[in-house]
Amino acid sequence: MFDTIMYPLEWCVANIMVAWHWMLTAVGLPSDSGAAWALSIVGLVVTIRILLIPLFVKQIKSQRAMQLLAPEMKEIQAKYRGKKDQASKEAMQRETMALYSKHKTNPFSSCLPILVQAPIFFALFRVLNYRIEGVDEAKPIGMLTEELAVEAHDATIFGAKLSDSLIGTWGDGDPAAIIVSIVLIIMMVATTFITQHQITRKNMPASALEGPMAQQQKVLMYALPFIFVITGPNFPVGVLIYWTTTNLWTLGQQYYVIKRNPTPGSEAEKAYKAKQAEKAKRKGQVIEGTSEDVTTIEAPEPRQRQQPKKSGTRSQRKKGSASPNQQPKDSQDKTSADEGEKKDDDD
Amino acid sequence: MTPAQLWSAILSLPQLVLMGLIRLYQVTISPILGPRCKYYPSCSHYGLDAVRVHGALIGPVLAAWRILRCNPWSHGGIDDVPAKGSPLFRRRQETSTETAVSLSTP
Repeated sequence: MFDTIMYPLEWCVANIMVAWHWMLTAVGLPSDSGAAWALSIVGLVVTIRILLIPLFVKQIKSQRAMQLLAPEMKEIQAKYRGKKDQASKEAMQRETMALYSKHKTNPFSSCLPILVQAPIFFALFRVLNYRIEGVDEAKPIGMLTEELAVEAHDATIFGAKLSDSLIGTWGDGDPAAIIVSIVLIIMMVATTFITQHQITRKNMPASALEGPMAQQQKVLMYALPFIFVITGPNFPVGVLIYWTTTNLWTLGQQYYVIKRNPTPGSEAEKAYKAKQAEKAKRKGQVIEGTSEDVTTIEAPEPRQRQQPKKSGTRSQRKKGSASPNQQPKDSQDKTSADEGEKKDDDD
Repeated sequence: MTPAQLWSAILSLPQLVLMGLIRLYQVTISPILGPRCKYYPSCSHYGLDAVRVHGALIGPVLAAWRILRCNPWSHGGIDDVPAKGSPLFRRRQETSTETAVSLSTP
């Protein structure tokens, strides 16, 4: 039954790889070279990640309104300041999450996209371990004929086969395969760590970095290389290439976001604003102009969605959006109180 | 151990295995991925509770439905495992009510 579930995924993985291999040979790489087959794994990553870009864009957009909930977030933080017991920690997390969903914004990227990738990763694992084999043992699937499977099996990159793993080659004493595996494991650990560090330390609002969950994640982040030291040696070289490439892609994507589109309230945003201000200064523009521009793009739209009837006439609304930070605090409190009452009524 | 006790122990085995797998995920893979769940409790925590409360048949279904909801189009928020006996797949009220209310607030 398990084989039946995995078959279509393996079919997809194998076909995407063969398609990339065909393109790479068309460009001039030798068909039986390790480079062609290793790059076809890179191509597999590129294909999958391109398909996932819409999810990524949606995720970035849902982080836009983070700044708006800063006052309410501060209230929650003040409420739980100094309370270290488990119940308060949980209550604080609950309130924070409720606040995110109320404002329809969330600093987290959601679970589904990563879990969609997990079976693909596993399918690749199986293709490399069981389908790409020597003569008589190869199990063809889709466009991956027996001929191609044997060719991929015998192809070497820096002396290592794609299906070699550190554990498998350790006994043979083949230095090339061992060195390639170790280098790739180190790269995998390094890229995973940097990606993690970049996302949690740089592009999360300060509010998301506080609390017990974040603290626990921080500890685990530093324990992570040890986990890879245990699992890494079991991974075939091809899987290590896949993992490292996908990390590099994530890193690039995040770098773009941090530079061009940072999460409001994060450290990356401070750097972004400073840079914008500097740029404006160099061009001789007024600094306030640029920084206000940023807020007016982000602030008014969700604010209107939140309380559209309150804004009154069009001219008043315009006046309001010109100075989004000067909204009287008590009116906001009143709104949330109203919402609370309304909710009770509905229930 | 009476046969009845033995039988119930065997029956609860899949449940324990599933919970063990989720715990394994939480200590090994989850830290690699970093905090990413939009909900409270997180998807893995929800799955653990779901299997504990609803057993090895309904629990995984609830967990799978939760993971499907934890996508870039959702707004996250608080989402606890429904208590035993209460409707399992009712439409969650938190986000939708809040939205409706914030729109209708005078």
